[in-house]
Parts: sequence; C-alpha cells; structure tokens
Amino acid sequence: MAQVVLKDVVKNYGPVYAVNRVSLTVEDGEFVALVGPSGCGKTTTLNLVAGLISMSGGAVTIGDRDVTNLDPKDRDIAMVFQNYALYPQKSVYKNLAFPLQMRKLPKEEIDKKVRDAAKTLDITHLLERKPRELSGGQQQRVALGRALVREPRVFLMDEPLSNLDAKLRVQMRSEIKRFHQDLGATIIYVTHDQLEAVTMSDKMAVMNGGFLQQYDSPANVFANPINMFVASFVGSPAMSLVPLTAVSKGTQVVLTSPEGWEMPLSDANGRKALSATSNKVVLGGRHSTIKVHKVQVPGAVPGKVYTVEPTGDVTFAQVFVSGATVNVSVPPGFALRPDEPVFLEFDQDRMHLFDGETEMALRL
Amino acid sequence: MSTGQAIFRDVPDPPAPKRPSLGSRLVKSRTDYLYVAPAILVMLVVIAYPIYYTIELSFFNTPASLALSEKQFNGLDNYVTILTSSIFWKVTWQTIIWTVVSTLFAFLLGLGAALALHREFAGRALLRGLLLIPWVVSAVAASYVWKWLYHSDFGAIGALMVQLGVTDQPINFLDNTTTSLYSLIVVNVWKEFSFAMIMLMAGLQTVPDTLLRAAQVDGASPWQRFWHVTWPHLSSVSTVTVLLLVVQNFNSFIIPFIMTGGGPVGSTQIWITHIYELAFLRQRWGVGAAYAVLLFIIMMTLGYFYVRALTRGDDQRAGA
Repeated sequence: MAQVVLKDVVKNYGPVYAVNRVSLTVEDGEFVALVGPSGCGKTTTLNLVAGLISMSGGAVTIGDRDVTNLDPKDRDIAMVFQNYALYPQKSVYKNLAFPLQMRKLPKEEIDKKVRDAAKTLDITHLLERKPRELSGGQQQRVALGRALVREPRVFLMDEPLSNLDAKLRVQMRSEIKRFHQDLGATIIYVTHDQLEAVTMSDKMAVMNGGFLQQYDSPANVFANPINMFVASFVGSPAMSLVPLTAVSKGTQVVLTSPEGWEMPLSDANGRKALSATSNKVVLGGRHSTIKVHKVQVPGAVPGKVYTVEPTGDVTFAQVFVSGATVNVSVPPGFALRPDEPVFLEFDQDRMHLFDGETEMALRL
Repeated sequence: MSTGQAIFRDVPDPPAPKRPSLGSRLVKSRTDYLYVAPAILVMLVVIAYPIYYTIELSFFNTPASLALSEKQFNGLDNYVTILTSSIFWKVTWQTIIWTVVSTLFAFLLGLGAALALHREFAGRALLRGLLLIPWVVSAVAASYVWKWLYHSDFGAIGALMVQLGVTDQPINFLDNTTTSLYSLIVVNVWKEFSFAMIMLMAGLQTVPDTLLRAAQVDGASPWQRFWHVTWPHLSSVSTVTVLLLVVQNFNSFIIPFIMTGGGPVGSTQIWITHIYELAFLRQRWGVGAAYAVLLFIIMMTLGYFYVRALTRGDDQRAGA
C-alpha cells in the first residue's frame, strides 16, 4: 500500500474547469472519501488519479513514484466501478484472472491468487458462474475481488454502492469498511452520499464546482464546516441556514430579522458576528442543537411549522423562520401541527455563524 | 437462508389451461380475422400464389413459348437436369465465391469503418455521411458508373494504373474470365459495406464505457480491449449482419446483370442471373422454376437462422 499525493491537479475542458487546483494527501492505509453533489468533479478527480483521463495541470504521486504521465496499467491501482463493470461473457473465475493474465503471470500463480481472493471475499462457490447469474451484492464482491487479486498500491472506488438497494447498501458498507481494516488498504472512494462518506472514511474531501472545499476527518467536517456549502451538504437532515443582520446594541451583539425580531448572541458569537465583512451574517444550526418551544422564551425566535415527519424514534419538522426553512427534531410525543406558531432556541455553544458575503464560517 | 427456500417449496405448477380448438377460436375472434382478411387475401394473391405456381412449374416440361397450358408433367426431370449439368456446379461455385468473399470483405470493411467512426474527431459526421453514399445510391446507377470506371479503353481505373506505372496498358477488368468475378465483388463490397458499418456502429454503442475503462485499468492493450470487451458485445449484431449480407449477396442480381450479364463465357454467372437467363432469355420455364425452388429452400434455411439469431438476442437481453 502507498501514500497518494495530489498536487494542484487541474482538468479543464476549454473554459470549463472540472477539477480546479485540487491538492490533497492520502496517507498510506487511509480511507478517503471524495464527496460532493453531481458535477462537483469528484469522479473526474478519481479518473485523474487512475490515469483514465489526462491532466491539464498538476501532478499525482503514488508511493514515491510520480505517475502523472503513466498509463493506468502502470500506476499499480485497481478500480471498482458503480455498475461493477464485470465482463459479462466471462465467468467469475475468468473475471478475477483477467488482470493477472494481462500481466502474463504463470497459470499456477494466477490460479492461486484467484482462489485466495475468492476465499477472502467468500465467493469461492460462485467462481464458475457468469456475472448475470449473481445478485447485486455478489457482483459487487466479485468486482472487489478483481481489484484485490492485483495487490494494488491503491484501491479507487467510484460509487461502488449506488446500484444496490438500501438494505444491501448498508451491509456492503460495513463489508467494504471491514475490507479496508483487514487489508490496511489505501482507498479513495467517490460517493455523492455524505452518509457513506461520514460512516466509512478516515477523512473526507468535500468538493463543489471543481474545488476542494474541506479535507478533514468526518467528525471535524461535521463539527466545523468551513463554509455554507459544506455545512448544508454534510449531515442529514442538512444544517439549516437563516440569513440575518448583525447589530451592536451597547455591549451586546444581536441578530435581527427583517420581520423585526432580535436574537442576542453570546460574547464569543458576538465577536464572530462582528468579524464578518459586512453586517450580513448567516445563522446555522443542526436539528439536534435547536430546542422547540410552544411559548416564547428568552432568546428564542418565532417560526411557523411547515411539515411534520414522524420517523418513530424522533419526529422531524420543517419550520419557516424569516423566510428560511429550519429543520428541527422533537421527541415523538411532542405534538406539532402544520401552520402552528413555535419558538426556536438555538444553542449558543453549538450554533454556526457564516459571513453573508463570502459564505465562509466565522471563527475567532 | 433456510427459511427463504421454504416459501417456494411444495407449490405445484397450476395445470396448463386446455387450448381451445382452432374452430372455436376462429368463431370467438371472427371480427379480428375479418379485419385482417383483406390483407391476407392480397398477400395470398401476390406472394403465396406465385410461390405455388413456381413450385408447380418446376415439375413440368414447358414449351418455349408462353403457351403454358401445353406443359407436360415430367416429375423430377428438371431437378435431375440441373444437378447433372456441368454449368450448375460452375455457377454454384461462383455463387459461393461471390457470396463468401463479398460478405467477408463488406463485414470487415464495415467493422473497420465503424470502429474508426466510433471515436470523436472533427468531421466525423461528414465522413459518416460520405461513407453512407454507396449504400444510398441506386444499384443500377452505381453499376453503370463502375462499368465505365472499369472500361478497358475509357476507364479511369485503367488510366490511373497506367499513369502510376502499375501496368503498361489498361487491364481489361470485365472482359476477362480471370478478373471479371472479382471486379464485380469489389463493386459489391463498395456498395454494401456501409450497411455493415451502420449495424456495427449501433452495436458499438451498446458496449459499456466503464467496461472498457475497467479493462484499461486491468492492463489490457487496445487490441486486448477490443478482443475481450468490444467483440463479445458485437457477436449478436455481427451474426445478424452476416446473415443479412449472405442473403442479400446470394440474391443479388443488379450488379452482375447490368455490368456483365453473367459473361464473359459465364464467368460472372451466379444463381440468380443464371435463373433469369434460363427462364427469360432461353424460355426454359420449368428448369428455371426448379432452380428457383432450390434457391427458395436455401433462403428459407438462412431465414430460419436469421430469425433464431434475432430472438436469441432478445432472450439474452431479457435475462440480463
């Protein structure tokens, strides 16, 4: 296994930049998720690492080798694709053997490696079958096996779970995680599903519009999103964002809404709000940090219930606050009705403030 | 999953419903049959009757006039005449060469063109359009043009070869028993390779891009990617294309008829032109009809494989 370093990687198609100066380091044995909405450049980045498309600029290093100008086959990588990309006319055995045959390994060695990989992934009983005779989960395991037999330095996975149904996806998620732990493999994993990224990866690289937005552990990305995009992308339900205006009132800073209500900020939050480039400040809060009251309490802001979604354990609700939608959660016994007026209390220690102009998180 | 299997155990197949008799089905859906009756009648008159009449004629000795009422039944004599004549074997051999060589080269050329046109490049649409011209052009017009191109005195090909110093004097492509058949095959391949190209271009679009990329990562060279990924995906459409080309070539009439009329000395005579000559130039209706029946049997056999190739593709797709 090996370290992977991307340095100022650029891919443009004329004036359109699919990947724009992305730099990140994947440590040896690390599981890194590239995550972002469709068209954010995550798959392009993966294909650049694989060498399937040519780079417009920058460099990629795998281990101590600069692979920028190498063919995919010389990069010592293996790839797992969203639709598995198994060769439909070949048996499972031949699918697994294919990359080894291409390297002209002796027959006995191929056989041994194929059977070892099949054993690791528990697909020995499927070796003689054709891919179309397998279930989605089995096909996925064969695809993993075809990557595994090559003993690559890096595994590249392009949305490998997207074609599976919800239940199987959860199961395969833990299987891939186990695969990573048992092999100590370096894995770069592309997904549009932030939940997959959060639950599986050591580090997640959040991308948008071709730019790398934030690269950190899932816990840090979740707790300290660097800007409004990351804040609203990571977490389910998404972090709610309410655009407001910061005003100093004597020693205190308050956030005011066009409707006229005011929300006083703590000292620390007040200083953050004043550090913004203008008085436009966006208030961010995750559902778990917002308390819902049926009567006005100090510091709470007024809102109106829009929808109520009971899930059994917890009831989610969407509340209109100053024209924005705020996701909140209440215990199942807490009765909420659509159009009911409520008051939301944001936790001062866990709220997020963003610069209304630059959309960056305000920090001290 | 031992519990999962129990669900499907001991469920007997429902008894097959009894098929109602043909008569009762006819009565039950008589209006449906009424609606298609006009079409069936027309087809009986223009398709079924000529086939029947050809088969009937093939068992008769016919006068060399149109007074076919004076025909005399002679059993299998016509078939015996055909199979024992030396010209039959010569024409059959030429038909096989014509069909096999034309099909092979039209297919390979079409495959090459389809692969070349599958990649994006500037002017691709234009080139694709240009390569379709031979197929779109009328075969009669094309045959006359090629006849002039090949002409021993005025032909452009001969003149070009002399100018390039390939030969001292223009080759007599068509009035020469050794080159005539192959000269016609060149025209035929030119005429129909676009068809193979179109079929295979459609087939190439069914090859998943990720499979090719997977093979690339697995270390396959461009040729290996073609052999292991692309070609298996083309097998179905290739079978259909080759069968259609074989049928078309076995039946092709226009190019040999117009360009050489089967000559010189029968060197470009293939079944179809030979049948035409027997029936309509030498008025040997009975023998011509017997020939046509033999051709019909061969075509129906090829047609059977064609339909089977088509439906097998459907099953595979449905099962995937």
